[in-house]
Amino acid sequence: MAGSEEHQSLLGDEGESSTSREPDRPLAAICDPSRLPHRVVVLVFMCFLGFGSYFCYDNPAALQTQVLQDLSLNTESFMQLYAWYSWPNVVLCFFGGFLLDRVFGIRLGTIIFSVFVCVGQIIFATGALVNRFWLMEMGRFVFGIGGESLAVAQNTYAVNWFKGKELNLVFGLQLSMARLGSTVNMNIMGWVYNQVKGLVGKPGYTALGGSLMIASATCLFSLLCALVLAVLDKRAEKILHKEEGKTGEKIQLKDVKDFPFPLWLIFIICVGYYVAIFPFIGLGQVFFIEKFNFSPAEARAVNSIVYIISAPASPLLGFLVDKTGRNVIWVMIAVVTTLAAHMMLAFTFWNPWIAMSVLGVSYSLLACALWPMVAFVVPEHQLGTAYGFMQSIQNLGLALIAMLAGAILDSRGYLVLEVFFCACICIALIAVVMLYFVNYVRGGDLNQSASDRARVLKEATSDAEIKRRPIKLTEGDLARLAPMSAFGLRNRYLSRLGTQLPDHCCTHLSSLAHRSVLK
Amino acid sequence: MAAAVKTLISGVFVILFCLLFGFCQSLFRGDTFKRQVTMELNPGSTGPHLGVNLLHIRAVGRNDTLHFLFCNQGAPTLLLVHTNVSSSIVTVNWTLFLARNTSGSLKIEPESSVLYSTAVVFSRLWEYNDLNDTADPTSGFFPPYELQDFIWSPLNLSDMTALLCGANATSISGSICFQLSVFEMGGRGLSWPHLLHTANSSQVKVWLDGMLPRANNSRFLLELQAVSESYPLSRVEVHQSIDDEYTPSVFKVFQWVSAPNSISDILGFVQWKPVAYRHSNPSLEDAMPCRHSDPHPQNSEAMAASSGVIRAFYSQLKPFGLNVSFGLAGDPFYINTKFLSWTVLVGIGSPPTDSFSPVVITIMAIGLGTPLVLVLLGGMWVCMRKRTMESTMTYEPIN
Repeated sequence: MAGSEEHQSLLGDEGESSTSREPDRPLAAICDPSRLPHRVVVLVFMCFLGFGSYFCYDNPAALQTQVLQDLSLNTESFMQLYAWYSWPNVVLCFFGGFLLDRVFGIRLGTIIFSVFVCVGQIIFATGALVNRFWLMEMGRFVFGIGGESLAVAQNTYAVNWFKGKELNLVFGLQLSMARLGSTVNMNIMGWVYNQVKGLVGKPGYTALGGSLMIASATCLFSLLCALVLAVLDKRAEKILHKEEGKTGEKIQLKDVKDFPFPLWLIFIICVGYYVAIFPFIGLGQVFFIEKFNFSPAEARAVNSIVYIISAPASPLLGFLVDKTGRNVIWVMIAVVTTLAAHMMLAFTFWNPWIAMSVLGVSYSLLACALWPMVAFVVPEHQLGTAYGFMQSIQNLGLALIAMLAGAILDSRGYLVLEVFFCACICIALIAVVMLYFVNYVRGGDLNQSASDRARVLKEATSDAEIKRRPIKLTEGDLARLAPMSAFGLRNRYLSRLGTQLPDHCCTHLSSLAHRSVLK
Repeated sequence: MAAAVKTLISGVFVILFCLLFGFCQSLFRGDTFKRQVTMELNPGSTGPHLGVNLLHIRAVGRNDTLHFLFCNQGAPTLLLVHTNVSSSIVTVNWTLFLARNTSGSLKIEPESSVLYSTAVVFSRLWEYNDLNDTADPTSGFFPPYELQDFIWSPLNLSDMTALLCGANATSISGSICFQLSVFEMGGRGLSWPHLLHTANSSQVKVWLDGMLPRANNSRFLLELQAVSESYPLSRVEVHQSIDDEYTPSVFKVFQWVSAPNSISDILGFVQWKPVAYRHSNPSLEDAMPCRHSDPHPQNSEAMAASSGVIRAFYSQLKPFGLNVSFGLAGDPFYINTKFLSWTVLVGIGSPPTDSFSPVVITIMAIGLGTPLVLVLLGGMWVCMRKRTMESTMTYEPIN
């Protein structure tokens, strides 16, 4: 957050200089790319750009009972639908930004990814219509190729149009749209299915395919938005003579060997934590019906509460974490409360609204505290690689665990499944505890309070001046300082200088636009 | 600091100890109590018995005996008699028994040793046409299959199980089968729903295989009657269990019990999980929920007439009956697979209750224990490091 504010003020002048250029002939406010009314119009399209993808991502979860029954699937094959979404993103997390910047350009790239989303969803629906499960899996794969990269494109557009202006607000709005898409999907698809069932006359794969086809209308709508955006962006480029937006993401796989130990711990936390959230939400509906005797509508509602809560909670908790610092402690709190929520679901019959609400809050807290930590342990030029790698292994974990979760449920039931999720979170917890001590011993700044960080930043600025002069360290000095490689030193100084943590420190930027963070 | 560490250590040890205790308890809790089980077909029979098979299973404990009697004369019936001596025997007057008109032709001797007896009769199979897929068995009933009129095959005995199959005299294909299993000691059923059993119980698995339904939207109900002299089985209790490890996605256990005063006084029970399966070799998606009606008192004369064993053993009886219906609205109809199986446990004493499996307890213990141990070790190490750092620190930082 702090980074982006700074960013805003730093780049404010630049933005104004480009807008101050008068167009040749006067335009109506709504048509003038340099004026707010026009940007509001663009913002509307920008927000709906991702709506379709978010709406359709959780279609299987929203229609879990119907999918299982109409296609007579077991849970393991059902979870394949989620696994197939994750597979392409194991690779694409590295190349999405590259493709947008170097190969397609933002406009064409956005359209291409929207087409992938749209075609993927249509293949998925067709698969259901003709009762071919492999076709549905293929649809999810194609959908996955587009889905995550589209989110990156959406953010790049936002930066391009709103940098130095209303950027934070725009990010907030996009975030809310994403969550709105997920929530609406969870709560409306059951109704849509029932309507289609009424038309078809009987439940079955035809009704399922029909309702998924209707859902794909949202993707078509998003594609339309992508086309309109491309036209508007092209027009703005001509009028304002500005450049096409770039994600600015650099990925170098050879950096992986330089990743410090705390970063690997952060990866473990990320994988261990998120695999206990997304596959669980995918399987949630039937769980609430079977264990807590909920009606399908109520089960869908309680399943979507995580998304609903995270909409208002994310900015609030983000503010809290920014103001207090001590990220490791916050992550620890988030992991422990999530563990408590899962244990509640596993070992009690308490109303799941309690556990799911706790899960929603702790999930948002984790996103706010965990993702910025990467920026503290990795120098800026490696941030793109680190985030790309993090999301890649997260997707790998999601794909594998989704399949495993389905298999566990089929053979051993919900209790063992929940215990398995608890075990995953326990692994994340072990990693957090280790991270705390490693950070403590190394004197890292992951767990500093915000005021300490500000003080260090101040000192570092003056320190950096001194550092420029070559100083021979005495042996005593060396002994008192923790032994550090040149890499480590640079790393620390770079990350202490506030300007070195710009875009990525703010939880919204480019590579952070992926689903897990956004939701 | 030291005090805090001490309390922390003791806290961790208490938790670990509790987990360990729970673990051991669950490992060794599974009844070590054993019974000596012997099976005997048609006890004391010398002459011809007109295709009637009476299976007597004797399960001898330390100082008591359980007699299971399973018979194909009339409606399939399982009779359980609990005696307080290990030498009680069954005597059958075969002439009277086959005539099916007097009580007392089947006796447990010595009679004074009988503590409790109960019988379960599978009396009817109902079929209804669920036109609107509401799974509400109130209308559309076909005439029920009277199981006493079915033609029953001889009992097919194998190790600790007996199989009884029968078919409607008029039907062309398909059958209804009952498989009785008895147990020497506690354990779990081998196939779903993996019911937990003790040496004091027996398991009956009922299945319909290939019987043609009379309508495309047919669903079935099975009528059960429970008989006993005193303390009839008059109440169905539902137990919620968080543990669905052995029967995935089923969180309830129903037990139909005799209800004298309190739970501890339960004399006999019929226990089942509300799940039936649509395939002979089922997986999770073949599971189908069941419901049951409340138990109602039944006509004792009609009851006795329908089952040979009941007539022969009981002179006065208090039968209660209930229906178990298979499938809820939206579940596939019987015609899709033409198979339906359901399992029930019949026993004396308190019904067995599930507890966490060692796998669950081990995972939770390791999962929760490791971070605690790490916090503990890390905390101690940091304390020690601090102390040594303090003692070796020779100068302060310049600023």
